[in-house]
Amino acid sequence: MSISVSKRGFFAEPGRGGKRPLLTISELSAYYGQLRALYDIEFQVMPGEVLAVIGANGAGKSTLLKSIVGMMNRGKTAHITGTIDMRGRRLERLNTEKIVDAGVTMVPEGRRLFPRLTVEENLMTGAYLARCRGKAPEKLEEIYDMFPRLGERRAQIVNQMSGGEQQMVAIGRALMSDPQVVLFDELSLGLAPSIVDDIYVKVGQINQAGVTCIVIEQDMKRALAVSNHVLVLLEGAVVLEGDPRELDVDQVTSAYFGSDIGRASA
Amino acid sequence: MTPEEFNIELYWSLIDIVNGLLTGSVIGGYYAMISIGLAMTFGVMRLVNLAHGDFIIVGAYLAVVMLNFLPVSPFFTLIIVVPLMFCLGYVLQRVLINHVSVQAMERKGLSTNYGLMAPILVTFGLGIFISHLLLGIFESDARQLKNSLAFSAIRISEDLNISLLRFIFFVIGVIILIALHLYLNRTHAGRAIRAASDDAEISPLMGINTAHVYGLALGISMAIAGAAGVMIGMIRTFQPFDGPQFLLIAFGAVIIGGLGSIVGSLVGGILLGITQVLAGTYFGPSAQLVGGYMLILFVLAFKPQGLFSR
Ligand SMILES: Nc1ncnc2c1ncn2[C@@H]1O[C@H](COP(=O)(O)OP(=O)(O)O)[C@@H](O)[C@H]1O
Ligand SMILES: [Mg+2]
Repeated sequence: MSISVSKRGFFAEPGRGGKRPLLTISELSAYYGQLRALYDIEFQVMPGEVLAVIGANGAGKSTLLKSIVGMMNRGKTAHITGTIDMRGRRLERLNTEKIVDAGVTMVPEGRRLFPRLTVEENLMTGAYLARCRGKAPEKLEEIYDMFPRLGERRAQIVNQMSGGEQQMVAIGRALMSDPQVVLFDELSLGLAPSIVDDIYVKVGQINQAGVTCIVIEQDMKRALAVSNHVLVLLEGAVVLEGDPRELDVDQVTSAYFGSDIGRASA
Repeated sequence: MTPEEFNIELYWSLIDIVNGLLTGSVIGGYYAMISIGLAMTFGVMRLVNLAHGDFIIVGAYLAVVMLNFLPVSPFFTLIIVVPLMFCLGYVLQRVLINHVSVQAMERKGLSTNYGLMAPILVTFGLGIFISHLLLGIFESDARQLKNSLAFSAIRISEDLNISLLRFIFFVIGVIILIALHLYLNRTHAGRAIRAASDDAEISPLMGINTAHVYGLALGISMAIAGAAGVMIGMIRTFQPFDGPQFLLIAFGAVIIGGLGSIVGSLVGGILLGITQVLAGTYFGPSAQLVGGYMLILFVLAFKPQGLFSR
């Protein structure tokens, strides 16, 4: 464990509630070629919490999640600078496979299932890692308990399913790798409100089971309702951060749209 | 024409047709083996492998080398040739093709047109390199893998028989295709290959290392090509520059059957085989190739995605 290397590592100042952070992100910037999408992002993720990231379209929310799971390490077309520390282990230079092996995974924007694979095959791809293979049959049953609909349709090709069902497969697939942290990018995109309610109930259950969650959610009220901590992004920078019970909606709204009040309180 | 003459005429035309169907199907089994690797590398990583035919010939020459040291039946060379070709394919993908692939070109931010062209040019060059290397080592003499079964036939009736070797190859071909199907559908690695083929950007989120998976795909492709090469070498003679003609057959079967389906490759190969044999029977030997190409053109004109693609 390298105490000297990470600024907010092991013996550094404790995070929120005196606990030791699970993830510490420092001076994180992200670039698509010449275009800079994130500016010196700093925040911590506490174990067991639900962190909501909100911000307008193009604010850099997806880029932030992609940076954490190593999907911005693409040479000339995309890269990051700064550090991402997980309990003393540095993630920012690792390949996505290694980061997932370390226990961080993502449910990507738009679900991105493997369209020609069945429900069960999609779920099983999530258990590809050597450390997951043995437990795969039990995990599969857990997923089917959580989403009985998927159990009924296990042999169906996923691109014939409804959006809500596909989102369940995407969540289940991420859980198959037995993660400590799951990043959810716009779970509610294109889904009916009642289905979104169901999905967030499941996210709550996943969190109750001890999984730390980072959610990107367009619906600000919902984001504030489901989270223990919120981060507001504006044009690639964090402009407001805090406990949703202590922040008021006006404050968050102005940060979201970038009015002066929002900047002042950041 | 007396009734008796008419019956004899009918009998022989039936024999011709049945022979065409049987021999064509049996040939189709090995056409499928020739083509499945080409279909797979394209399906999984959008690699148009113009060296595929040359890999087949490499398989045949590896058997030649082995038989020099060990005078066994050529069938036994498969035990060495297949795994060796797998390793060659895996290494080739990881040290060369992965760095010039469509995906690598995308990472470098190059245009899609260039990205598709680069690996095609590289495999084209690789094919030329391989055939000249073979020429340098083995010279241009026609070789054959001698074996005791070359002239045996399975007699179905007095006037109908098929080559025993071709039949054995058909059976081996079908077994390989079934094994490949099970591998792709039932194993973690097989599912990873299919996942990477569906969405290479997202599959790393499942812990899948796409460079490794692509290595497996070219390894499997070359292993099957090597097996096909040994079988071809047992049926006919071969020379260092014979690769491209097998590449053409492979393209044909793939076009007819459609990409990305194992059953498609088999049925495509069988249809091509039957068409060739029947065209040869009715219009003379020179019509064999023309008949095959006509079928390919027909499929391209009316169902360009192939007969079996979803
Ligand atoms: N693949 C990409 N190539 C180039 N620019 C991109 C790419 N993806 C996103 N961007 C740009 O990066 C910025 C942040 O995008 P993104 O993270 O997707 O925002 P959000 O998820 O908050 O809507 C935007 O300006 C967007 O145009
Ligand atoms: Mg987004």
